Amino acid sequence: MRITCPHCGPRDLIEFTYQGDASRVRPDPASEDQEAWNKYVYDRANPRGWHREFWQHHGGCRAHLLVERDTETHEIRSAKFAREARS
Amino acid sequence: MTFHRLPTGGTLIDRSRALSFTFDGKRFSGFAGDTLASALLANGVMLFGRSFKYHRPRGTFAAGSEEPNALVTLVRNGFREPNLKATLVEIFDGLEAESQNRFPSLNYDLGAVNRLAGRLFSSGFYYKTFMGPFRNTKIWMFCERFIRKAAGLGKAGLIPDPDRYERMNAFCDVLVVGAGAAGLKAAQTAAKSGLDVILADENPHAGGALNYASGEINGQAIWAFTASVIEQLGALPNLRILTRTHVWGFYDGNTLAAVERVADHKAERSPGEPRQRHWVIRAKHAILAAGASERPIVFPGNDVPGVMLSDALVEYAQKFAVVPKGPVALFANNDTAFAAALDLSRLGVTVSAIVDVRRDISDFAKFLAGRSGAELIAGQAIVGTEGGKALKSISVRPFDAASGEVSGTARIIACETLGVSGGWSPAIQLASQAGGRPKWDARLQAFLPPEPMPGFSFHAAGAANGAGDLTQAFSEGHSVAAFIAKGLGKKAAKPSPVKIDLDSADIAPAPVLEIASSDSKQKAFVDLQADVTADDLRQAAQEGFAASEHAKRYTTWGMATDQGRTSNLPGLAVLAKAQGISIPEAGLTKFRPPASGVAIGAIAAERFGDLRPYRLTPMHDWHLKNGATMYAAGLWERPMIYGKPGETVEQAYVREAKAVRESVGIADVSTLGKIDIQGPDAAEFLDRVYTNMFSNVPVNKARYGLMLREDGFVMDDGTTWRLGETKFLMTTTTANAGKVMQHLEYFLDCLWPELRVHVTSVTDQGAGAAVSGPNARKVLEACVTGTDVDAVTLPFMGIARGSVAGHPVLICRLSFSGELAYEVYSGAGHGQKVWNELLEAGQPYEIAPYGLEALGTLRIEKGHVTGAEIDGRTTAQDLHLGWMISKKKPFMGSAMMGREGLMKEGRLTLTGVQSLSGEAISGGSHIVLSSDPKAPGASLGHVTAACYSPALGRHIALALVADGNVMIGRRAFAADPLRGRHVPVELVSHHMFDPEGRRMYV
Amino acid sequence: MSDRATPLGDALVPGLYGNLAAALGVTLSETFFDCVSELTAFDGQEPALAATLAKAHGKVKASFSFQVAKSRWLAAGPNEFRDLILRQAAPDKWSHIDLTHGRAALRVSGPKAEWVLSKLFAVDFREAAFPARSGVATMHHDILAQIHRSDAQSFDIFVYRSFARAFWDTLCRAAEEVGYEAA
Repeated sequence: MRITCPHCGPRDLIEFTYQGDASRVRPDPASEDQEAWNKYVYDRANPRGWHREFWQHHGGCRAHLLVERDTETHEIRSAKFAREARS
Repeated sequence: MTFHRLPTGGTLIDRSRALSFTFDGKRFSGFAGDTLASALLANGVMLFGRSFKYHRPRGTFAAGSEEPNALVTLVRNGFREPNLKATLVEIFDGLEAESQNRFPSLNYDLGAVNRLAGRLFSSGFYYKTFMGPFRNTKIWMFCERFIRKAAGLGKAGLIPDPDRYERMNAFCDVLVVGAGAAGLKAAQTAAKSGLDVILADENPHAGGALNYASGEINGQAIWAFTASVIEQLGALPNLRILTRTHVWGFYDGNTLAAVERVADHKAERSPGEPRQRHWVIRAKHAILAAGASERPIVFPGNDVPGVMLSDALVEYAQKFAVVPKGPVALFANNDTAFAAALDLSRLGVTVSAIVDVRRDISDFAKFLAGRSGAELIAGQAIVGTEGGKALKSISVRPFDAASGEVSGTARIIACETLGVSGGWSPAIQLASQAGGRPKWDARLQAFLPPEPMPGFSFHAAGAANGAGDLTQAFSEGHSVAAFIAKGLGKKAAKPSPVKIDLDSADIAPAPVLEIASSDSKQKAFVDLQADVTADDLRQAAQEGFAASEHAKRYTTWGMATDQGRTSNLPGLAVLAKAQGISIPEAGLTKFRPPASGVAIGAIAAERFGDLRPYRLTPMHDWHLKNGATMYAAGLWERPMIYGKPGETVEQAYVREAKAVRESVGIADVSTLGKIDIQGPDAAEFLDRVYTNMFSNVPVNKARYGLMLREDGFVMDDGTTWRLGETKFLMTTTTANAGKVMQHLEYFLDCLWPELRVHVTSVTDQGAGAAVSGPNARKVLEACVTGTDVDAVTLPFMGIARGSVAGHPVLICRLSFSGELAYEVYSGAGHGQKVWNELLEAGQPYEIAPYGLEALGTLRIEKGHVTGAEIDGRTTAQDLHLGWMISKKKPFMGSAMMGREGLMKEGRLTLTGVQSLSGEAISGGSHIVLSSDPKAPGASLGHVTAACYSPALGRHIALALVADGNVMIGRRAFAADPLRGRHVPVELVSHHMFDPEGRRMYV
Repeated sequence: MSDRATPLGDALVPGLYGNLAAALGVTLSETFFDCVSELTAFDGQEPALAATLAKAHGKVKASFSFQVAKSRWLAAGPNEFRDLILRQAAPDKWSHIDLTHGRAALRVSGPKAEWVLSKLFAVDFREAAFPARSGVATMHHDILAQIHRSDAQSFDIFVYRSFARAFWDTLCRAAEEVGYEAA
């Protein structure tokens, strides 16, 4: 698999670390809603098909990327800086 | 039957260079350019090996990479490489080859009795035997040894692979796989259109089938024309031609893997030259032009040496001038063999007959047969052969292609060589790896390359795409390259005109791939390499394994090193017929990488042995010179002990730890993770990351911090130093440095991008020396300039800047050992000089360098935690670090740490352990209550670290014990049944030495 | 000459090695820059930082910098370059970290430099993709490498100091095939 890092260009999978499902939402830090926290920390959909996920380009610019990937074909539809995608 | 070498001819051999080699110890000679197969044939050798299960004598069957039979082992300097295709091995002076799977010799093989065992090795043999009633019985175990010895290919060597392999990364616009007619043309057009091109071919010479085609192009012999084209292409700067390079894998991101046999064909290697090079090629597009393989028609007795593919006969004749001595017969379902007949007869070979399953033969084919002088036997099929180790004759009976029935009486035709042609199978292996389902072409009775899957880009061209002649191959090669060039924004080069003068035979076959004759007692082999017969496949179908993927695994059809290059289609035909369905309905099995065998060493490439990266501290060489035994802590090399002559490990660390407690010691702590954290929001960031507050740490003070994971368990601990209002230096454990760094980067990028904070690993910037012990301050006083180091200037957790040996240092007073201690950091490039100066200043106090073992001892005595206790399952409370949890703010892990399961009684808690018997406690021991080693009872927990404590004068340990707080004062046993230890112990507070910490606050 | 000790220790022994039958493939050496710094801009401040660096390079010719991440530059040069940068410090716009001791700069130069580096890194070294005076960040197994191309045939590879000797060994081995001079 190759991921096109928006800074470094296309690089091999080995330069990246999977950093988890990007679709989950972190509750407010002060929230004591255990169900929401449980969902955030443990629940994963594991879909077949398109999936939003974080990958860190640890062997390059070290930026975290928000990647849209097809879990079945490994096709990657988009990869952008996580910082920019979230803010 | 034997072959011999013609006195002239051979497009690829150099008769001026004779080479000498051995096969099974016997010396032979050949010419430069010969393969092992062509050279042995030229010497009259027909018998190449014994078959996989039945030990049947086998000769060479093909001339290229589709070869299923002629597998050999090469021996070089004692290292054996088995299962190489003799058809691809190039000879060199001194080459040593051996035949395989024979005992005691190739000619007299005892294993051949397997043939008498008849159905013993029938379909599903392994499954039935392993799972059946004999499983695990004595009979089976007795038989197993012999069965395992009997069945198999070559033997792997016993010595480590002495060869060198390398990886090469490449990038290109187009990778062209196969340098035959279509591939050469595609590469030419692509390169002339301005694209960056790699052209790879598994053969030693580019040209493919052009090297043995008999016609002319532009008035030149085809092989000579081809040679001039290759020479022109070789001069293009944007085209790289890789010969001897087999492209074997097609992976995501249009990445192709290939192995180049750099030096396999050389008698001598130059310094640093790898034997093979593992290419990883990222190509924007691939052009798959690896041609097609001729496939056989399966018939009873078809594995006798002398039965070969018809095209292989022409290839040996034209490329190497090696031809059969005796009469040749041909057996066909298409016109390919007719052209072969004419080619052979022109070289003086007697072609006695062409047997064709078709009744209606084209006029052109009849013309070719007539010119070759062969008798045309149409509408008939071969139903048996005579000859054990060499073909003597074939028997032929009338055959109805529509029904597949044989009838009438047999006619015996004497021949010593039989060329078989069952049509052509395009090389779709790579396309299949990167594509969907192959497409069935009824006219060619063959599967064509599928469409690429999303994310892949390839185009097939030439014979690999089903092209039947040169004109079509050239035109397809040009047009796919032109298409790609346009897609990449280039103007496609015009094709150079070629005038082809070659009579092409029609390759479309009659749909006959197996001759089943119920009268015949001879086996009809579908897969020559895995020794799978047509009857085996029929039996598999009958037993419910008719689906091609099932039959493949049940019979091992297509599972040997050739991946069924010549057996896929005949096998499918048998399975389809057995079920009364069509071949496409039976479905081709999926091709997976590698498309053919790859040496493991080539895949490992440069990654082996001492080439694993290691990390050295600035004082590494000093450690080695001063008797340190090094220990690999992750990638770091760290001193374990500085042993004196005659000392055991225990004696050394006890001496070192004692020196720290009694006077002063010095340890290299450069490996501790250090992360520079700066920015206007740095303090706020640390408050979110750590369980305790950092925003109220004064400048030039450090604080011990604890980090949880999001799920509330402890992640890491360490001190963080405030170097300025907006600048901090975080230290982490050596082992977790990388993980913590990623953790922080994740927070900043994904959770809190609004925080203006930068984090950078600065571990390597500093050399760190921990100076610990009651005399530590005196050592610093003697060598530090530019700052005082007294208790006022440098209180516990204080930071000061000064110089040592003229180099700037950053000193922080903190203690892992529990003694008065300082960490002195300098620039890494000054580390050794600073270290030397500290040693010098410590001389009067007999300063002792101490290693990891002593470091561990000191911290066990103090009950300080490390990775052994922070094991991902412990909470702050479990480690008695609950006092570090701030209630004033939320932080990473605060929401989840209070969950019921993390708070309940009975959790494993950090506890001290002391031996009561004077025996050592081993790490990993379980804490039990029973005094009986044979019935230790339930485990209450486990020992995480153990040592002999010089300060306490006994063996001690740290353990995680259920309800550890309640258990303090109880007697128990540290059980280690593996080492036969059952040590009586007392459970105590984890603060075993100086619990009030008086020593470090002085 | 730097007062810093080399992380290579005794591993660098000047001389000719490997296959010397043809012209020398590459020269391998260690470069001691007076200073190596990492400068990182806060979001939106990248152009300001880039402009500051460009101006500094204009004044101090022997200095250079290259982008190793979207907001991050690695810069190297003589001491006056660092002084210049530090004089313009703008902690609210960008951060500066001194990595002079933390990085080792190994130089590969010669006609086979691209070939040798292609063995170790999965990045495209062709000049069209990697022009002179630009850089990339990549890795060789666990070794992070920030590579600057100074001209068609010369590369400075910045690695963590602790990895320098391991990487030097790897580099030498990769260069044996084409013949190299350790200098």
